[in-house]
Amino acid sequence: MHDIADLETRGVPAMFIASDAFVVAADSQSKALGFPSLQRVFVPHPIQDRTDDEMSALADSAYDSIVAAITKN
Amino acid sequence: MSNRVILDPTSEKKFTSRELLARPTGLSGQTIGLLDISKARGDIFLNQLESRLTAAGAKVLRFRKPTFTKPAPVDLRHEIATKCTLVIEALAD
Amino acid sequence: MTQIKNPLRDGWTLIVKRECATCVMVVPVIARLVRELPSLTVYTQDDPKFPDGIVSISDADLSASWHADIDTVPTLIFREKGIETKRTVGWLRSEWRELTGIADLGSELPEFRPGCGSMSVDPDVIDKLRVRFGSAVLHSRQIEFASAEDEFEAMFSRGLTDGLPVVPPTPERVMRMLSGTSRLPQEVVAIAPPDLVELTIEKIAINAVMAGCLPEYLPWVIAAVEAICTDEYNIHGVLATTMPVGPVIVCNGPGTRAIGMNSGVNVLGQGNRANLTIGRAVQLIIRNVGGGRPNEVDRASHGHPGKLSFCFAEDETNSPFTSLAVARGFDASQNTVTVFTGEGPRCVVDQLAREPEALAQTLAACLRTVHHPKLPFAFDALLVVSPEHARVFAQANWNRERVLQEIHARLQMAGSEIVRGAGGMAEGVQEAFKDATLPKFRPGGLLLVHAGGVAGLFSSIIGGWVSGSTGSDPVTKLVTA
Repeated sequence: MHDIADLETRGVPAMFIASDAFVVAADSQSKALGFPSLQRVFVPHPIQDRTDDEMSALADSAYDSIVAAITKN
Repeated sequence: MSNRVILDPTSEKKFTSRELLARPTGLSGQTIGLLDISKARGDIFLNQLESRLTAAGAKVLRFRKPTFTKPAPVDLRHEIATKCTLVIEALAD
Repeated sequence: MTQIKNPLRDGWTLIVKRECATCVMVVPVIARLVRELPSLTVYTQDDPKFPDGIVSISDADLSASWHADIDTVPTLIFREKGIETKRTVGWLRSEWRELTGIADLGSELPEFRPGCGSMSVDPDVIDKLRVRFGSAVLHSRQIEFASAEDEFEAMFSRGLTDGLPVVPPTPERVMRMLSGTSRLPQEVVAIAPPDLVELTIEKIAINAVMAGCLPEYLPWVIAAVEAICTDEYNIHGVLATTMPVGPVIVCNGPGTRAIGMNSGVNVLGQGNRANLTIGRAVQLIIRNVGGGRPNEVDRASHGHPGKLSFCFAEDETNSPFTSLAVARGFDASQNTVTVFTGEGPRCVVDQLAREPEALAQTLAACLRTVHHPKLPFAFDALLVVSPEHARVFAQANWNRERVLQEIHARLQMAGSEIVRGAGGMAEGVQEAFKDATLPKFRPGGLLLVHAGGVAGLFSSIIGGWVSGSTGSDPVTKLVTA
């Protein structure tokens, strides 16, 4: 969250992807930065034991949300 | 004394919390930085994003931070900010 | 302080606390008053069972005490048709007898015993009470920080600072700041350029808190802001120029000593809270309320460090001259601020002049180069004469007017020297003026102030900006409580 808050300060729209284990932490961190609207997308936990194919599939399923976070509708 | 609430010192014409930057309407022509936080398997995820984003007409640059335990070093953030028009950071778990 | 609602009723009211030997002493008197007065309401600040055996209302939240302006207990009050007509504090038997009409009241008690401090004026509690009872007068939007957010970082990240940390303007701090003026929080002091926003006492107080002001500085901040928002001062023009100038605030009057402003050693530098925070508050207001920020409306190419804060007091006590305020039509007993548009100060060295003419010559030679040696009539300047230099003039009995006159006389520039191209410099006046004599400063364009440490044969020049309808004119305002 700190990195993307900083990039927004530097003028570059940014977003963050995490597993859904991170939902609450992301919420409180973004608020602690005074920036609750920081853009983030969550993918289902777990991550570590997925196969390569499963990881690619996760990326595909999150793709539209990711693009929405860095473009204007 | 609590510092949790302050009074707005401005003319109140704008919002009180930080606002996001304006986004472009589409991806084509954008230079998208993919910042790997260096947790295992994140690179596989980012590889797939890279091929999708490239197919959508964006240029993709890859970056990696030395450790996920701290914010990215300032030089890396500066480099990303000067080279990219959009940034995606992944993948925390 | 605006009172919202006074809860006291008509008739008699008595306010006491158990933790007060005088209140305890007068309990028999209270019992008698309960029997003999037509109506008596007793409020107790601490123990609701006090006075023993007498029905009382608990004022544990101190709302009755606050609204009735109680600073001492016991206090006995009489109200008629909503207006207070009688009040006595402490125990003075003759007064209690006179007010109540009971001729032998308290004959068993001593004649006199002083009261005790009311709980509503306890320093540990008073900030909270101000907010609890007074903050309905505050209209500004509240900004809440998340529990994990550092409040100083939060002020930075919301763009509310001048690049240095600010004091978070909590309701308690703002209410305390407002006690520095009797003006009401919602009074509109000015319309603030460039955004043309209504600037209230409250908004000024909020930014004064952020700057680090004490409540007694607030009237000075208000006066400076009033001056800056005038058409004559033209803060919008001052912001929008690419020249490095900004407001310079000169304070005059006995009030400068009362609030501890610096007019001596390092007068234009750092270290004095009143000087620094008054100047800073004004800049924060310009930025936060008016909307004048660097790289937006503020287009200064270089700016200067004094755009953070530039405020000082004239040294009137040791001055051989009348003050700037007196020269501008005010009385020496009045408190004023004069706002001038200027750049950073520049030193004038003259350690050898014994005669006033020689010193005037030095000052003129240095003033000639304000912004450019070949540009006449264009810019104002503020000359800060040090005590040691002032003594050279004083020894010759030159007053303020004489000093200025003599400097102006030495700043009549020959057109041939200042036309474009002359001296190898492209800058200058048009060829048509080559036979004219042109003054460096317009009439009234050179201001003089006496300030500085007692040791130092130096003075300072603060170069100004253009005056008149396209520029900025110095403006003086009275400081009112």
